[in-house]
Amino acid sequence: MDARPSTCGGTYMRDPETVMAPERLGAMHQNRISFVRSLVRKMAQQNWQVTKHDWQLSPQGFGHVIYKLTTLNHVYHLVIFCDEIADEDRNDRVIAEKWDVTFALVYGDVDADLLGRLRANVPLQEAGRNPNKVLVLARANKSVRVFEHLVSHLAKGQQPNAKELAEVGYILRTTAVYGNGKFGIADFGWLETNDDFNQSFSAQMCAVYILREFSLDWIHYIANQQGGEKAVSLDVDLQRYLGIGNATGLGMAPYLINHPCVVDKWLSSRESALTAVLNSSVTVNKLESLQRLLQKALCHLDQIITINEHQDDLNTTAIAELDDLLSKLESVLLQSTNWHELVDYSKEYSLETQEILLSCLMEIYPDLVDSYETKMNCDESLNLPSGKRIEDLLMVLESRYRWAIDTDFKQPENNYWFWYRSQDKEEPRLGVRGEEPGEDRELPLDIGRQAYRLYHALLICKPNMQLAEFLVLHPQYRAIARRVWTLGNKDMGEIQMNVLHKTALPMHLLRCKLAVFGATKFDPRSERWVRVTFFQGAPLLNEIHDGEWLFPLLPTDSLNQAVAEGEAS
Amino acid sequence: MIVSHNELTGVVNKAFLGMRRTCGEADIIANMVAGLQMVGLNGIGHFNNAAQFLTVEKDCPVDIFTTNDGGLVVDLHGCSLACHLPVVIDYAIEKMVGKKHLTIELKNCHNRWLAYNELVKLAAKGLACKAQWNNGSSPQNTLYILNQGCVSPELFLSDHLDVAGSQLHDMTIQLSVKNFDVAGYSTGYTRHIKSSELNSALRDTWNDGILVDDVEWETLKKTATAILVENSEQSLKGAGELV
Repeated sequence: MDARPSTCGGTYMRDPETVMAPERLGAMHQNRISFVRSLVRKMAQQNWQVTKHDWQLSPQGFGHVIYKLTTLNHVYHLVIFCDEIADEDRNDRVIAEKWDVTFALVYGDVDADLLGRLRANVPLQEAGRNPNKVLVLARANKSVRVFEHLVSHLAKGQQPNAKELAEVGYILRTTAVYGNGKFGIADFGWLETNDDFNQSFSAQMCAVYILREFSLDWIHYIANQQGGEKAVSLDVDLQRYLGIGNATGLGMAPYLINHPCVVDKWLSSRESALTAVLNSSVTVNKLESLQRLLQKALCHLDQIITINEHQDDLNTTAIAELDDLLSKLESVLLQSTNWHELVDYSKEYSLETQEILLSCLMEIYPDLVDSYETKMNCDESLNLPSGKRIEDLLMVLESRYRWAIDTDFKQPENNYWFWYRSQDKEEPRLGVRGEEPGEDRELPLDIGRQAYRLYHALLICKPNMQLAEFLVLHPQYRAIARRVWTLGNKDMGEIQMNVLHKTALPMHLLRCKLAVFGATKFDPRSERWVRVTFFQGAPLLNEIHDGEWLFPLLPTDSLNQAVAEGEAS
Repeated sequence: MIVSHNELTGVVNKAFLGMRRTCGEADIIANMVAGLQMVGLNGIGHFNNAAQFLTVEKDCPVDIFTTNDGGLVVDLHGCSLACHLPVVIDYAIEKMVGKKHLTIELKNCHNRWLAYNELVKLAAKGLACKAQWNNGSSPQNTLYILNQGCVSPELFLSDHLDVAGSQLHDMTIQLSVKNFDVAGYSTGYTRHIKSSELNSALRDTWNDGILVDDVEWETLKKTATAILVENSEQSLKGAGELV
C-alpha cells in the first residue's frame, strides 16, 4: 500500500497520488459518510418528523403538495408542483424548460402569499426568482415507463413486474438540485449557523429524500384515483427499493475544479476515516459483517443494468473479483494484523473492487467513521502566506504537482480539449481546440497547465527571490500560485487530472462527486453524463433508522420473480 | 431586487473572466464587489464603472519604487486598482517586516472603492490600515480607517476638504502595527459611516439577501455574457448529448 506519514496521529494515510488519481475517484462508491447516509442518520437520531401538510392534486395527479419537516428547532416545508407536460418536452438536459415536477425546500412556514410566489416561480426554475427563505430549488421528470407500469398495476390490485423496476430503480429522476444561493435562494453561508443543514449539500439531500416519499405517495394516490377499491399499495420491500434517479452531466465537472478545497476536504475526511479503520487490528468478529457486505455488493453489481459497455465490463470484472475475494477472505484475514493488509492484498483487483472493499470496511466501523460526517465543510479561501520564496513554491510543485509539471503541454494531446460555457443556460461544454469556436473564451479549468506554466516561470528566477516580488513582475501567476500553495499543503489536495488531455474522462469527476453525495447504480449514458439513483434501499420515512443500507438490492421475492421472468422470456 | 452572495460573486467572476485580462483575479475581484455591495456601498456600480475601461486599459504589471524613507510608490499606469491591489499588498507586507509603519502611494489608478474588501483582510493579519483618496466627483474626499481586530472600517466622507497637492487618481494607504487615531484623522470630514453600521448591514444582508439596483444588476449580467459561446451543432455535442 502506498503510504506516507499523516500530518497527525502517527498513523499512515494513503498517498494523494493514489487517492486523487482520476481513475480511482471514478470508481468510488457510497460510504457511511456520504451525504445521503449522514442525512438519514441525523434524521433518525434526532427524530425529525415529516408529514403531508397539504395535498392539492387533481385526480390525474397535477397540482401541488406540501410536506412539513419538523426538526429539533426549526420547521421547513417541501413545496412540490406537478405539471402536465408533453412527452417531447421531457428532457434531462439543463436546457430543458418544462418538468413533470418542480419543488422547493423552504425555511419556515408557507402562507398563501408565499405559496403564490412559489407557484409563479418554482416551475420556471432558472428563469424564476425565489425568496431567500428557499433553501433548495429543484426539478424532476418521471420515468414514464416505471410510473405508468406502477400506476396501472397498483390500480388493478396487482404488484408490478419487478424486472421493470430493477431496470430503472426510481419513479422520479432529478435533473438539477440547486442550493447555495442559486437564482436568489439562500446562500450556504446563511445555513452554516443552522444546526439542521450546516453540512454541505445536506439541505439538497433532504429535499430529495422527501421527494422520494412523495414519488411513492403520488403513484399510490393516482392508482387509488384510477382503481378505487381495487387499488393496492406497492409492496413495502419494493417501495424501499425505489429511490430517486438523477441525471448528471458535464455541468458538475467544473464544480470540482472550481472548489478544490471542498474536494480536498471531502476526500481528506474520507481518507482520515478510512485510515482509522485500516490501522485497526483485524478482529474475527468483523468477518461475518464484511462477508455479508461484500456479498451484497456482488449482488448489487449483478443487478445493475447499464447500456454502457465499459461500465458493464467493469461491473462484470468486479463481480468475479468479489467472488474471488470472498472465497479467500477468511484466510487472508488470518494472516493479517491490520486491515490495511487486506487492502494491500486487494490491489491485485480492479479499482472498482478495491473501492467497494473500502466502502465495506468503513461500514463495519461506525464508531471510527461516523464522527467524520461533520468534517466535510471547509474554508475555501486560497492564500499565499507572507515570507515565502520561489524555492518554497517550487518545492510544493515538485512534491504535489508532479502530475502537472511532468506533463508536456507542448504536445497537442495534452491540450486537446478546451472548456467553455454555452449561451444555452450557460451550460459547460467541451470543444476541440483549433477546430471548434469558443477557444477565445476558454474557461480557466486548466489547472494542470497553469501549474506547469507557473513552474517553468519560477525555474528561471533565483530560488531565494521573494514570491511577492515575483508576483509583482508576473501578476498573471498569482491565482495559480495561491491555489498551488493552498492545495499543496492540504492532506489530499488537487484531483490529479489534466482535464485538457484528449483521453481525459469528465465521467471520473462526476462519479467522484456523486459517490460523495451517496449515489448508487452508476449508469453512464455517454462519456459526459450519467444516471444514478439516490436513496435506493434507504429506509422509508415511517421506518427511518440509522443503520446500514449500502448497495441496494431487489427484494428476494421480487428477485425470484425477476429471475423466473428472465428465464421464461 | 434581492440577489444572493453566491449569485453575485458568480456573475462578477464570469464578467471579469470574459474580459480576458492577464492581470487581476476573478475570484478576488468578485469578493471585492460582493464585500462592498453587502455593506450597501454600491459594489456593483463600482464594478460596472470599472468594466467600461477594463477591456481597453493597459494590462501590464505595476511598477513599484521605494522611497528614501522606505515607503512604496506604485504606478498603476491608469489601471483599475481591482486588478493590482492584492499583489501590491502582498509586496507591502513583505516590506513591513521589521517596521512599524509603511506608506504606499498608489499613482494613476481607478476604482479605489473596490479596495474596501482587500483592506478589511489586513485586520486579520494584525495590521491597522488608513486609506485616503480624492475624487473628481462626490464624495470628493474619502478616509478609511480600519484598526486591528475590527471587522469593518470607519469611513469618513466629505466634499469640501482642500487637500493640498491632492491628485484625483491616486490613493494613499498606510499600514501600521499600531492603531490609528480615528478622531484625530477624521477632523473636517462631514459624513461618518460607522463601523457598527457596516457590521449591521453585513449581518442583515446575510439574513435577507443582497439588495441590488435592478439596472446595475442587468448591466452586470450583460457584461457577464461576454464569456458565453454561441450555440452550434458542434457545441451541442460538446455537452455530452448522444447525437
